[in-house]
Amino acid sequence: VCEVTLGVGGMTCGSCVQSIEQHIGSLPGVIHITVSLEQATATVIFNDSQQSAASLLEAIDDMGFESSLST
Amino acid sequence: MPKHEFAVAMTCEGCSGAVSRILSRLEDVKFEIDLPNQLVWIESDKDADILLETLKKCGKQVTYKGTK
Ligand SMILES: [Cu+2]
Ligand SMILES: [Cu+2]
Repeated sequence: VCEVTLGVGGMTCGSCVQSIEQHIGSLPGVIHITVSLEQATATVIFNDSQQSAASLLEAIDDMGFESSLST
Repeated sequence: MPKHEFAVAMTCEGCSGAVSRILSRLEDVKFEIDLPNQLVWIESDKDADILLETLKKCGKQVTYKGTK
């Protein structure tokens, strides 16, 4: 199990946060996701045999939000 | 090119921004987004089903309203 915090750009309100939490949270291997609108980040706890930082980045990007690895 | 009309449950600039980012990745597509009326028009030769699937990626509810 791994945890990663990704930068998420383009969110403007709570409904953006919710749609990302719902969609990413329902992906296989995702255990928990917390999205912060203020910090423009998503913190994801995931099973590293099914997801990776790169696959999560791609999934967020695919939804139309800008995502980046923020360290 | 046919102009397809879709209803997309967008509620804020974040939603319409996401839709526009998703659509701008497609080739040979022209689109207009009407946020207040929750409508998206797409001019494209692509199949309406493909456009529908693409729009659904944003995680919002999408319905196809037909061509104009
Ligand atoms: Cu929003
Ligand atoms: Cu929104």
